[in-house]
Amino acid sequence: MISVKKVDNKPLNLLERVYLLEIARGIAVTAGHFFRNLINPEGMPTVQYPEQRIPLPGNARLRTRHRLKIRADGSPKCVACFLCRTACPACCIHIEAAEYPENTVEKYPAVFDIDLSRCVVCGMCVEACPEDAIAMDTNELPGGALARPDMMLTKETLLRDIPSTGDPSVKGASNRLANEYLKTRGEQ
Amino acid sequence: MPTLTIDGQTIEAAKGTTLLEAAQQLGIYIPRYCYHPNLSVSGNCRMCLVEVEKAPKLVTACSTEAAQGMAVLTASNKVKAARRDVLEFLLINHPLDCPICDQAGECGLQNYYMEYSLAKSRFNAADKVRRPKRRAVGPYLALDNERCILCTRCVRFCSEVTKTSELEVMERSDHSYIGLKEGTALDNGYSLNIADNCPVGAFTSRDFRFKQRVWFLKKTPTVCLGCATGCLIEAQHNENVIYRLTPRPNAETNTWLCDYGRMTYKAVRAGDRLTKGVIKNGQIDLKPALREAAARMDEARRSAAVLGSPWLSVEDNAALARFAKDALRTENYCFDFNCGQGIKDGILINNDPAPNTSGVKPVKAACGGITLTELSRRIAAGRIKAVLMEARAAALIKDALKAAGPRLIVFAANTGEIPAGAYAALPYASYFETPGTFVNYQGLLRRTKPPVEAPEGVKPLWAVVNELASCSGTSLGLDSVEETLKGIYIK
Repeated sequence: MISVKKVDNKPLNLLERVYLLEIARGIAVTAGHFFRNLINPEGMPTVQYPEQRIPLPGNARLRTRHRLKIRADGSPKCVACFLCRTACPACCIHIEAAEYPENTVEKYPAVFDIDLSRCVVCGMCVEACPEDAIAMDTNELPGGALARPDMMLTKETLLRDIPSTGDPSVKGASNRLANEYLKTRGEQ
Repeated sequence: MPTLTIDGQTIEAAKGTTLLEAAQQLGIYIPRYCYHPNLSVSGNCRMCLVEVEKAPKLVTACSTEAAQGMAVLTASNKVKAARRDVLEFLLINHPLDCPICDQAGECGLQNYYMEYSLAKSRFNAADKVRRPKRRAVGPYLALDNERCILCTRCVRFCSEVTKTSELEVMERSDHSYIGLKEGTALDNGYSLNIADNCPVGAFTSRDFRFKQRVWFLKKTPTVCLGCATGCLIEAQHNENVIYRLTPRPNAETNTWLCDYGRMTYKAVRAGDRLTKGVIKNGQIDLKPALREAAARMDEARRSAAVLGSPWLSVEDNAALARFAKDALRTENYCFDFNCGQGIKDGILINNDPAPNTSGVKPVKAACGGITLTELSRRIAAGRIKAVLMEARAAALIKDALKAAGPRLIVFAANTGEIPAGAYAALPYASYFETPGTFVNYQGLLRRTKPPVEAPEGVKPLWAVVNELASCSGTSLGLDSVEETLKGIYIK
């Protein structure tokens, strides 16, 4: 059953029905903004995106462009476990795994692509990551592009260190293996 | 015939049946690690503990024989607590490797943890016992001792199935680990079964390693064409790429699968895969290649020969026979193959390397043709000007070919198969890409089910034969697989 709600709209009075007066009132509002912005352009709330941008508030809940975290030796923290790919509802992540010959972490992503033109910025990849290797804390909004290839983030563009976030983090299941490997290499 | 009750259900079990097997017959699943239906009972993992009324302690279901009047409980609180505790013990020293472990998704520890435990670890991850990480053992396997739960399925497989006994449990008690005996490597020809048997990620396949996560894989039941044994297999694939082959255990033919058979999928996407026609070592499009091949066959006509192949399906052999009889109208065609068939090594590998020697017999019965020795004689005598055949079958008459040197027009899936000196080669879809009927050495019918699609423009062999015939002006009317099998009776 569809419920029907009856709305009693107030009937128009004579002045409103005359119509011209209401037009003039509307033009007055628009003209008021026009002249105010003409005299004082700094007070304008709109910006010329994407050339001009408002700094983001830095909220912890903010989801911005992805990045892949790196270890102390510059290698990716990602171990190509495919959980982000599995969790991704937009199927925008493409990974190809490869094997380190000596590093006990064994596995790393040879290819890690995120197709931003498909990404719905839901943050499920960050939630799913068991290694704390992917983050959406770059504070960059993925803007538009003129061609699809420009929307493709590759491993090279994703790998990025942001020192203020306390990297390299110690979270992650394979971190023990990574740290041990780095230690043995440091001793040699 | 003892009668017992399991979880209130009564069953009359055959003498010698264990509790685990009796429960399985009732459809009650008892978790297990070390138990495997085709290996001896070891009883070391303690995962299958069940409660038997009037017994003082829980008993292992895999090693306790069913006895008259037993009342077994598989889901009592005591059993549930035992399973949780056994899992806790197994997981104390198990590394947190799941993100980098290939077993994740089909791992006994993961599955049973979700099903029977879900308890938080009470132990510090930093105190876990360390063991050597992955290392290659043999050409196909990698071993990670840290992940091992010492169920000894691998040890029993090597000592009971292959009887090579390369693996052994070294040291004692909590020092024990699975190790290779000195001077051996796991290269017994069946080693990848160990990766299948391993309930955790200790043994992983070096070939499949890191190629794909198992939860993405789709499974298609098909048949191994590595030899005349015709093992039932499962092709695991994703997005039109096959990643591995695993056995489909069955009572008639196979429980396991040999390493050679497991690697047969590689030809499908090998670098030398033939997708175009070849004329005198130069690749050209299929159409002109077909026209050229048809012109050469026409030139020879009555002095042309067609040789079937035990590597091809019944359908494709039948199409070749139709081509010889109806298009070429030659008498020189041969579908007569014999090979002493039988299991060579006592496990699976057959004396006959071709999968369909038995399956060509119905084609011969329906279409006739000369014997292989007669064909060889005619070729050697120079009476044959051109031969149409499948690439691998050239080996069967290679002496005659060398002696006379007729024009060879071959069907090949990979360029590596093309015999030296072939005039033309035509591509065809492999049996991972098109359905085919085979008959194994036991006379059992085997139908392949294609898991992937053929590369663009590559067609099944019977369709290529049909086009070849129409290029020389004859319509064979082979428009479907059913059409090729007309008049052929496979028992």
